[in-house]
Amino acid sequence: MIRVDGLRKTYGDFPAVVGSDFEVGDGEIFGVVGPNGAGKTTTLKMLAGLVEPTEGTATIGEYDAGDAEMRRHLGFLPEESPLYEDMTARSYLRFFADLYDVPREEATRRTEDTLDRLELEHRDRRLGDMSKGMKRKVAIARSLVNDPELLIYDEPASGLDPLTTNYVLEFTRDLAERGKTVVFSAHNLYHVESVCDRVVIMNRGEIIARGTVPEIRAEHGETSYHVFTTVPVEETDVVGADVTDAVDVAADTAVDATPDTDASAGPETYRSVVADMDAVESVRSAAEKAGGEVVDIRTREPSLEDIFLDLAGRPPETRDDGKGRPVAAQADGGVETLDGDGGDRSGHARDDGGAR
Amino acid sequence: MSRSLSDHLRVVRRIARWEVGRSAGTIDRRTAAFALVALLLAGGVASTGALAGGVALDRDIYRVGVSPESPYYDAIASSPALDARPPTVDRADVDLYVGDGYIVADDSQKSRAALAELNDAVRRYNTGAMLAEENRTAAFPVVVSLEYVQRGASIPAGATTGASAESSSGTAGESESGRTGSAGSDDGDAAGPTPDSSRSAGDGSDDGDAADRDDDSLSVPTLGGINPFGSESTGSPADISPPFPFASLVLAFAFLVPMNFVVQAYGGTMLNERINRRGELLLVAPVSPGDIVAGKTLPYLTALVGLTAVVAVAVGGGVVSVAAVLPIGLVFLGATFVGAMFARSFKELTFLTVAISVFLTSYTFVPAIFTQVTPIALISPLTLVVRDLSGAGVSLGEFLFSTGPFFLCAVVLFALGSGVYREEDMFTQRSVPLKFLDALDAHVSRPRDVALVSLLSIPFVFVAELLAIAVLFVLPVELTVPVLLLLVALVEEAAKSLHVFAAFEKGRFARTTRTALLLGALSGLGFFVGEKFTAVAQVVGLPELTLGQAALGPSGVGIGVFSAAGLLLAPLALHVVTAGISAVGAARGRRWYALSFLVAVAVHTAYNLTVVSVLG
Repeated sequence: MIRVDGLRKTYGDFPAVVGSDFEVGDGEIFGVVGPNGAGKTTTLKMLAGLVEPTEGTATIGEYDAGDAEMRRHLGFLPEESPLYEDMTARSYLRFFADLYDVPREEATRRTEDTLDRLELEHRDRRLGDMSKGMKRKVAIARSLVNDPELLIYDEPASGLDPLTTNYVLEFTRDLAERGKTVVFSAHNLYHVESVCDRVVIMNRGEIIARGTVPEIRAEHGETSYHVFTTVPVEETDVVGADVTDAVDVAADTAVDATPDTDASAGPETYRSVVADMDAVESVRSAAEKAGGEVVDIRTREPSLEDIFLDLAGRPPETRDDGKGRPVAAQADGGVETLDGDGGDRSGHARDDGGAR
Repeated sequence: MSRSLSDHLRVVRRIARWEVGRSAGTIDRRTAAFALVALLLAGGVASTGALAGGVALDRDIYRVGVSPESPYYDAIASSPALDARPPTVDRADVDLYVGDGYIVADDSQKSRAALAELNDAVRRYNTGAMLAEENRTAAFPVVVSLEYVQRGASIPAGATTGASAESSSGTAGESESGRTGSAGSDDGDAAGPTPDSSRSAGDGSDDGDAADRDDDSLSVPTLGGINPFGSESTGSPADISPPFPFASLVLAFAFLVPMNFVVQAYGGTMLNERINRRGELLLVAPVSPGDIVAGKTLPYLTALVGLTAVVAVAVGGGVVSVAAVLPIGLVFLGATFVGAMFARSFKELTFLTVAISVFLTSYTFVPAIFTQVTPIALISPLTLVVRDLSGAGVSLGEFLFSTGPFFLCAVVLFALGSGVYREEDMFTQRSVPLKFLDALDAHVSRPRDVALVSLLSIPFVFVAELLAIAVLFVLPVELTVPVLLLLVALVEEAAKSLHVFAAFEKGRFARTTRTALLLGALSGLGFFVGEKFTAVAQVVGLPELTLGQAALGPSGVGIGVFSAAGLLLAPLALHVVTAGISAVGAARGRRWYALSFLVAVAVHTAYNLTVVSVLG
C-alpha cells in the first residue's frame, strides 16, 4: 500500500526527517512513534502530499504522494480538529463529500452511518458549540466521507479524555478490520502498543527502531526479574561472573534491594531486580545465606515506552509557553504557527521541530 | 491525472457556494435582517433618485425667488441645484432674486455660486431648447469673422479667440470686491436684499431675444455676448480653471466605497483559513490551491461586480464605468489576498487592508481629479469612470492603458499569494517581509524562473513609476527629474533582485559568483523583455511629457533616444549589469545584498541621468 524510500525533509539547514524507509501493507495499522520534534507529523504530511519531500519518494498504491488523484483514496486526520465552527456537522461533512465527488445520497448515507458508529448526536448543532471529543468525532467522520482505503491519523486521541480516547482507539481497530490501512502516530506509546500491528520509532528525524512491538521488544528490550526476599540482599553477596554481569545490566547500578510494600509480597520484603534466571538463583542463595527466603519472583516485559526511553534517551527538553502548554525546544530558534483568533504568537509546538 | 477545465470550474463553484453558505452562517439572523432592510432602503433611495433624474448632490441648495411667468422660471425649475421660490418670498430668504429684467444677488460666496449655477442652468436650458429645434442651422449658426491684415503683419490679439474675447468682454463690470457688476444695466434701481448687495441685470443691450421674440421657442434670454452673471471666482468647484469635474469625481468615488467593505470580509475569510490550520483539510482534498483560492474569491468578486453595477445604475454610469472599476476591484482583492496570506493576526491584517485601501483609493482617486487636464490622469481607471459619467468618450487604447496594468497587477498579486497557499508556508508565523520573500521564492525553482518573475514584476514597476510621475509632475521639472530617476532606479533594481535574494536565502541555488552572474543576467533579460511592454504608454502619449520620458524612457522605451542598435542593447546591458551586481551581493548574504543593491541603484541612476541630460 505504502512504500517510502529515502524520504528526507529539511527546512533550511534543519533536518526534520532524515532518510526514512518503510513499507506498509494493506489493512495494516502502522504506528509512527516519537517525541515532539521526532519528525512524525512531517513524515505523515509527506505521505498525505501536504509537504513536499526534499529528497526521496513516497508512493501510495499506484500514485505518488501528493497526486491529486491519490487524495481521493486518502483520509487525513490532523493532530488538531480545525473545523469551520459556524457550520453544522451535517453541512460540514456534506461539503467535504461534495469535494470528493461523492453522490449526494451516498454521502448522506455514509455520513449518517459513520456518525451512528461514532455515536455522535446533535448533528445539526454548530461545530463551535461542540465539545472537543464531539469535534474529534466529526473530524474522524470527515476523514471517512470518501470511503478511503488509506487513513493517516496524526495523534487521533490527542487531548481527549480517557473514555473518548478508548473509543477512538477502538474505532481505529474497527477500521482496520474493515480493510482500511491506517498510519497512526502518537506520543502516547501505550496507544500505539495497543493498536498498531507494526511500529517505527523516530527520534530527531531518524527511524531508530522498527517492527512489531514483540520484535522491537525482543531486539531492543530486556526482560527483567523482580525477586522479592524477606531479607535485604547485598550486592556483594550476588557473586560469580555470570551473576555479577547480569545484575549490573538489569539494575543498571546494582541490585535494587529496597523494602517493598506490595501487599501481595508481604510487609517485610525486599526487591532485587536482575536480568536472568542465573541471577535470580544467586539472589535466592544470598537470601538464604542471610537467613531469609525468596517469597515471590515476577517477570517484567519492557513496554514500548521503556524501549523508546532506552533508545532515544530523554525526550527533547521542553519549556513552558507561559500558558501552561509545553513547547518543544527547537533547534533553529523555531517557527511558530498561527494559533487562535487573536493571532498570538502562541508558540504552538510543531511536531517536526518546525524549522522554517 | 490532469483534470479538465470543467472539473476545475465545478470545484471552484462548489467552494464558492460553500463560502457563501459558510459566510452567511457567521452572521446572525437579526444582523442579516437589519442589513437587508438597510440595503433595501439604500437601494430604494438610490433607485428613486435615479428615476427622478439621477443623484444630485447639490439638490435645492440655492433658493431663487422667481415668478412662474418669468422667462427664467423653466430653466431654474429644470436645475436640481436651484429651488424656485415665489417672488413674494422675503428676499433675505433667497440667494438670488430674479425680477423683471434684472437679477439681484447678495454679496456672498453662496450667492455668487448660485449665480454661476443659474448661468449654467440657463445655458443648459438653451442648449436643450436649441437641440429640440428642427432647423439645426438656425439653432447653431456658424459665425465666421473675417479680418484682413497686411501680409507679414502680426495677427491682432483676439482674432483667433473671438469667442473667448467676447466672453471675457461679457464679464466686464466686476468690482474689485468681487461683487458681480451689471454689464448692461445702469439704473441701479434693482435694490438688493441688503444695502451692499450687488446687482446683476440681464444685458438687454444687444439682443434681448426673449423680449423681442415672443413666438420663439427660445423663451429664455440668451446669455451669450455680455455675460450678466460673470463666470469667475464664484467659489463653485465648477469655476475652477482648468475644469474640475467635481460631481463626476464624487460619483466615481462612490464606486470605491463598497470595495472597502467587501475586501474586509474577504481578507477575514482568507486569514481564517490560516488560523488554527483550518485550511489544511482543504489542502489535502483532491483540489488544487488555485481552485480553493478561486472558489473563495469568486463570491467576493461577484459581490464587487454586483455592487459596482448597482452604483453605476444609481449614478448614471454605463458599461464603461463597470468595466473600468472591475480591474480596481480585482487589485483590491488581489492585494487583500496577499495581505491575508502574509498577516500573522487579524490585527495585522486590518493594518494591511487599511493600508491597501488608502493606497489604492489615493492611487485611483487623485489622478482622476486631473481628468480634463493631463493624460497622466489615465493611470487611474477611475478617470474612465469620470469621463463616462461626464459623457466624454473613452477609446480602446485609453481603456487598455488605464486598466491593463491593474489587470496584470491583480494576476501577479494572486499568483504571489497563491505561491504561499501551501501547508509549508500558510500556517507559519513569519514577519510580512519574510513572508514576501517566501512568496517570491515559491515561484523560483529553476534559473529560468528568475527571468519570468522579473518579467512579471513589470506591472508593479509600471504602476510605481506612473505613481511617481503623478506625484512629482506638479513640481518643477529641474527638481523632480533627478528625484524621479532615482526612484525609477530603486523600483527597478528591487524588482530585479528581490526574488534572486529570496532564492539564495532559501538555498535554491549554490552561492557562487558564477551562479549569481547567471541569475543576474536572466533577471536583467526578463526585466528587459517585460519593460518593452511598457511601450503601451505611448498609446496615450504619456512619454511625450518630460517626466514620462524620464521615467519610461531612459532605460526602457527610449524611443528616439538611441540608434536602433543602441536602443535595444543599452537598456539590456544596463539591466543585466545591475541585476548581476545585486545578485552577486545576494549570493553572499543579507548585508552584501544591501550594499550591492545600493551600487546597482547608483549605476542605474547614473545611466538614467546620462541618457536624460546628455543624450535626451
